[in-house]
Amino acid sequence: MFGVEIAALTGLFGLTGAFALIGTVLAGWMAWRIVEKAGLPGWTGLGAILVTLTGIGTIVPLILLWIFAFMRWPRDEPAASAGGGFNSYRGGPAPAPGTAPAALAGPSAALPDARGWRLSGPLGNGGTVSLAIGGTSGTYVLTGASTGAPTDLVVPDPSVGQPHARLMLSGHRLGLEDLGSAGGTFIDGARLLPEHGPRDISAVRSVRLGSVELALTRA
Amino acid sequence: MDPVSWLLALGSFTVFFLLVVHLLLSLVLIIPTWRICTRAGFSGALSLFHLVPVIGSFIVMGMLAFSTWPAGEAAPGR
Repeated sequence: MFGVEIAALTGLFGLTGAFALIGTVLAGWMAWRIVEKAGLPGWTGLGAILVTLTGIGTIVPLILLWIFAFMRWPRDEPAASAGGGFNSYRGGPAPAPGTAPAALAGPSAALPDARGWRLSGPLGNGGTVSLAIGGTSGTYVLTGASTGAPTDLVVPDPSVGQPHARLMLSGHRLGLEDLGSAGGTFIDGARLLPEHGPRDISAVRSVRLGSVELALTRA
Repeated sequence: MDPVSWLLALGSFTVFFLLVVHLLLSLVLIIPTWRICTRAGFSGALSLFHLVPVIGSFIVMGMLAFSTWPAGEAAPGR
């Protein structure tokens, strides 16, 4: 008797229905998280998945997927209230437990730091490079070869583009923007793309231009 | 043509037809997902998981949903 009920519950229709329900809930949850990471409200992702349950079918979610892929994400918009026009950077691999406690995060904005910045590291040819950036405002260009402009910061390495990236000082914050370099720009190992715009790198440890790894410190 | 050969030919054609339809439908998903993965900082090739029937889309969504985006994520509450 009981076996018959179990058989009925796990029948083809019930089983596929259960899988469909689990799949929909899972997809809705994941869609919520994905759109949130892009800066959109989470319910928009969940709604897009739930639309598949309606008579509209799957064409509308498909259209929404294309719109989401090619629209401008709020993540990439400059933060209006942050000042300086940089997006706060939360990417990159998570620090290993015990190596970077949260208590040792960047200094509070309430404590002004008058020191400048320094980018330094070894070059591919065995030499080293050390770039000092002072002041509280200005824009500098990281390039593989100098154009003679006073704002050039030269990293003489073949893997560094000409120009490669832009550094922006705003108050006590430092921003970095990739200029479409072939070698790529990386912040703490995470790729920075031109469409990301300027990113706040005040709290990062290293910047890689092509194959040149530069440590970012306060000078 | 004997009936067995005819059935084999029909079966082969059906499999080929389903394969082509699957590839076309996957392509409709792969193109936007490729861009989403790239913008998130992952390799666009991750979107090729859509070629895996049934669970492929869940693998891609899971990767995007539960891992830290190398290219950065929006701050919470934005």
